[in-house]
Amino acid sequence: MDKNFLVIENISKSFGENKVLEDINLNISKSEFFGLLGSSGSGKSTMLRILGGFEKPDTGRVILDGVDITNLEPFDRPLNYMFQSYALFPHLNVFNNLSFGIKENYSQKEIEIKVREIAELLSIEHLINRRIKQLSGGEQQRVALGRCLIKKPKLLLLDEPLAALDKKLRSKTQLELITLQKKLKITFVFVTHDQEEAMSLSDRMAIMKNGLILECSSPEEIYENPKSLYTANFIGIANIIEIYKKDENFYSDDLGINIKLNKEFKNTKTNILLRPEKIKIQSINNLKTSSFNSFCGEILEKSYLGSFTRYEIKINNKIISVLDQNFNSNSNYNFPKGEKVICSWESESIKILED
Amino acid sequence: MKNKLFEKYFVFSPYFWLVLFFFIPLAIIFKISISVSEWGMPPYQNIFLFDNGFKINTTFENYLYIFSDYYYIGSFINSLILALISTFFCLLIGFPLAFYIATSNIRLRNILLVLVVIPFWSSFLLRVYAWKIILQNNGILNVILLNLGITSEPLQLLYNQYAVIMGIVYTYLPLMILPLYGYLNKFDLNLIEASKDLGLNRFKTFFKVILPLSIPGIIAGSLLVFIPVVGEFIIPEMLGGSDRLYYGKILWEEFFINRNWPGASALAFSGIIILVLPIVIFQILYSRWSQKNEI
Repeated sequence: MDKNFLVIENISKSFGENKVLEDINLNISKSEFFGLLGSSGSGKSTMLRILGGFEKPDTGRVILDGVDITNLEPFDRPLNYMFQSYALFPHLNVFNNLSFGIKENYSQKEIEIKVREIAELLSIEHLINRRIKQLSGGEQQRVALGRCLIKKPKLLLLDEPLAALDKKLRSKTQLELITLQKKLKITFVFVTHDQEEAMSLSDRMAIMKNGLILECSSPEEIYENPKSLYTANFIGIANIIEIYKKDENFYSDDLGINIKLNKEFKNTKTNILLRPEKIKIQSINNLKTSSFNSFCGEILEKSYLGSFTRYEIKINNKIISVLDQNFNSNSNYNFPKGEKVICSWESESIKILED
Repeated sequence: MKNKLFEKYFVFSPYFWLVLFFFIPLAIIFKISISVSEWGMPPYQNIFLFDNGFKINTTFENYLYIFSDYYYIGSFINSLILALISTFFCLLIGFPLAFYIATSNIRLRNILLVLVVIPFWSSFLLRVYAWKIILQNNGILNVILLNLGITSEPLQLLYNQYAVIMGIVYTYLPLMILPLYGYLNKFDLNLIEASKDLGLNRFKTFFKVILPLSIPGIIAGSLLVFIPVVGEFIIPEMLGGSDRLYYGKILWEEFFINRNWPGASALAFSGIIILVLPIVIFQILYSRWSQKNEI
């Protein structure tokens, strides 16, 4: 696999005084499904538009499959861009939208064959003669996708590909998009502000903030071992606990307990991350609190979510979130509000946040 | 209850306006056009005569007279050609301007829109007269050309059909830009980017995406320029020469110089029918077509 299929090198971009991207470097492999995740204003959309050729970077280069495409016009780039609004041509029907980009290079017969192929792939054969306004959101999304894929691009850029769909359709389309990408082996780069979407679609993803890439790794790695406080909070639910060195151990003022780390740490003060599903919750009758990695708190809030129950547990002035999986259908396993419980975790579950 | 009644009939107020200021005057013109002309005030006979029992006193001679004389038909054709050429140039200049205004950022856009409208704040006559000063033999343009040595003697820029076209394009340009801007303003710029992304260069993108989607705006702007230019009187009168006669001028002369009210009315009424009927039919067909195609 070509690890340097798409190379983004020292890309910077400002709009007037406003620095949107600062020295972005990314290497994306061939056939990778790559996500750019960030809140609005993080620069992710500008990055995608630079890849599409709609914006020129102030500095840096974009190299696709060994060719420097930084200064190429959009119509000269061997890639396609799927717009968030889909940008389907309202004056053309589905057939003419699909064939829009291949009209000049093929005969009428070839075009018909290609359109039929792509329509079958996306199961939109029955829509071929419809006008764009007669399509639902999901159908429009497929036509937009088909219009790009029919050109067999080396790289497909997707701007918030699922944002315009309703929730139920979104999760279905997510799976379809992954299947399609694996089948076609086209490199996909997409941007999203939705962390769930980024996690479920991406092979690897980059977290962006204020024009910088904070982290770039697989979703598992970013969830389990985030490097920064921002990422830890941005992805999933995070319990952040401040600890400092006291004698030989680390101590948390918030929880009033000693924290045992499973690896050496030199600094005297840091934040640690404890994901809510890593915390075990037990009845106070069963156990005594041990001095390390466990505390006794009171259940403040509880929400039953089917496969698991989310508790907000209060200790001193700190509130810790815990996700407890409902192994047993016996509802006795659920703890009532106000009950005192013991929370504990393995030392391996604690992740040190470096900054 | 009274309010409801008011609301119900309020909807009809545009029609009331139309009837009062369009259909009734039109009917009056038609009535005069089929009257028999005579010397007097008004210079035509009554249609309904009651002296020896009831008698309808009408004639179609005025129409026959107009259509048998190439003087009238020719001037109308001249005006149509003038309107076509002027509309074409307004579109040629107005479209890029409107597109630029519609796609620029909001601050610049507002400034540009004000600049488009600003000429309306000064007198129309004054503005046309200003062109006279610019184009005359010892006018600014000729002085510049002479001093630069481009010509050795002043050019005859005024009093010809080119000066008329220029004056009309200058005057009517905002009427082209504003409706075009109205449509282009709603234009989804992503469509242009999508077209480029799919491999079409700027030129092809213009013809395959921008132009087809601007057709309603182009039609609106063109009609707004074309229709009044056909009857335009002042600009040909001030900037034009004796090389070409135009419909508006002939109409004026028939009414006020020859005092042939029935003939002039017949001319006006024929003009409206010839001009408006095809446009109305076109508009109906076009709106049906665009509804079907959902543009």
